[in-house]
Order: sequence, then structure tokens, then C-alpha cells
Amino acid sequence: MRVIPWLLLFTLMGVTLPTLAAERAEDPNEAQVREIAQGLRCTVCQSQSLYESNSDLAQDMVSVIRDKVAEGQSSEAINKYFFDRYGDYIYMEPVKSGANLVLWLGPFVGLLAGGLGLFVAVRRWQKGQGTQSVAAKSDNQGSVPNKSIEAELDKIEL
Amino acid sequence: MSSWKLAIMGVVLGIIALFAMGLQNDPRDIPTPLISKPASDFSEPSLKGDATITLTDYRGKWVLLNFWGSWCISCVAEHPYLIQLADQVKDRDDFLIIGVDFKDTREGAFRFLQRHGDPGYQHLFDPKQRVAIDWGVYGAPESFLIDPTGIIRLKHTGPLYPGWFEKVALPLIDGGAVQ
Repeated sequence: MRVIPWLLLFTLMGVTLPTLAAERAEDPNEAQVREIAQGLRCTVCQSQSLYESNSDLAQDMVSVIRDKVAEGQSSEAINKYFFDRYGDYIYMEPVKSGANLVLWLGPFVGLLAGGLGLFVAVRRWQKGQGTQSVAAKSDNQGSVPNKSIEAELDKIEL
Repeated sequence: MSSWKLAIMGVVLGIIALFAMGLQNDPRDIPTPLISKPASDFSEPSLKGDATITLTDYRGKWVLLNFWGSWCISCVAEHPYLIQLADQVKDRDDFLIIGVDFKDTREGAFRFLQRHGDPGYQHLFDPKQRVAIDWGVYGAPESFLIDPTGIIRLKHTGPLYPGWFEKVALPLIDGGAVQ
């Protein structure tokens, strides 16, 4: 007799399986709208994309994008529309041309220069150490600092 | 060795100087690329009545396009000057002001004009801020000065201030349009 509540429970759970849910198709244009809006920066919140922002202006800009996509404009044309009006600011990623190339290439140039500098420096240290270690060995016994260190060590009883 | 140290010190100081300069920038201020570009034409319903306002109708005149909204606090501060300026230029046949009431309701705009005074010039009504976005507007008030050939000559972000017309607009108007 106690089986019935269980049966009921499992039937109810079975009915609500997510696989049985009706699929809600997204507007086919929406993927393109999303892609464009994610690449453009919200003009009143600085670090959010138009797509993420809840500001009125950003949402109205997304609806401008949506209209332009529906008109059949290309992503490049829509990006350019906003770039022409808001300038460099509008792209989440700075454009890879002109003075902005410094932003894109600078870190790698810096890394290369630093690496080369480090390489040269290490080579120089290595060369210096070769001669220094021989010299260090030769007067290892009698040097004043070594003697004082040994004296200090002798004081410590383990 | 000391030349190396000097070079590194120079680089570090340079970075600090750039950083200090960067701190002076206002991240909310977006420089407009529209200066010296042809104005984006519009033909939009007027705030009052059913007339349409078309920008190209005013070729041959300097147009001050002022974006505002009844929700905008700085616009309240700017408003007395717009009233004064409208009165000051009412006899000029080479200069006019057009307002763009954006992201607003007609009721809100009428209430604003009733409470703070009506400067008398005409306004576009742009509830979905299509015109504002087309002009690269991101706040209010923002103003553009368009020359008689339809080229945008300057943009002012924030409230116009007493003396703005004489100080900024007149030299351009007297200097003539870009050829």
C-alpha cells in the first residue's frame, strides 16, 4: 500500500524531466546580435559590453544592432557604424592598427628585449664566475670573513 | 654599468609619468570622432505637434543641436542659459537652436518646459534615442555646432555655460564655414 505514494512521486518527477521540455528556438539573428554586442563597449559603464549591461543606453544600442541585423547588414558594417560615432572607445578590444599596434605588440617587444637582456647578463655572469671561483678557491682558507664564520660556528654546540 | 642604471631609471620614470598623465584622464569622457564630419541627417517628429524636423532644411545656417531630457539633472542647470541664448540670437538669421528630447516621455518634457521655462525653439522627440545614438551621444546634455554646409564643427559634453556663444561659437561663425 505504501507503494502508491512513491509511484505517484516518480510519475510526477518523470513528467517534469528536462528532456521533455518544449524547445524554445532563438531568433536566428540573435546569435549575430549577441556576437556584435559582446564586442562593443557600453558607453556609460566602461568595463561591460553592450550585451552584458543593463543600462538604458546599452539596451537601446543593442536594439539598434538588432534592427540592423534584421535589415541584413553585415557585422563589419554594424561595428563600423558604432566606431564612426563613438571612436576607439566602443571596441572591447582595441583595433589592431595605427598607434594601437603599440598596445598589441609592445608587451612582446618588451618580453623579447627583457629576455635578450637577461640572456646577455647571465652569459656575462657565467664568464665572470668562471674566473672568480678559481680565485675564490685559492684564498678560501685564509680569508678574514671565512675565519670569523668558522669561529662563530665553533661556538655553537649541537 | 651606471649607464644601464640610468636607462632603467629613465624607463621607470617614463612609466610613472605616463601613469600620472593617465590619472588626469576622465574615463567617462569619450572623445568624439565626429568633428569635421558631415552631420547625420534626421527627419523626426517634433516634440510639440505633428510637424517633422529635418536637419537639411537648415543648410545655410549654423545649428546648435542640444540633446537633453527631462530626466537629466545637468540639463536643469543648463536651461537658464539656453533660454537666455535663444533670446539673444532670436534676431540672427544665420544661427538657430534645435533641441533633441531623448529617452523621454512627452509629458515629462512638457512638465520640464513648464517648470523651468520654454526657450521657444523647436525640439525633436526621440524616445528610443535612435537619433542620440546616431550622433554618438552617451549622456546629457550634449551639444553639437553644425556649420551652414552641414559639417559638425564642435561638440560640447556637459552643460553650456554663460558666455559660451561669444567665447566658442562666435569665433567659428565669424571665421566662416569649412570649405
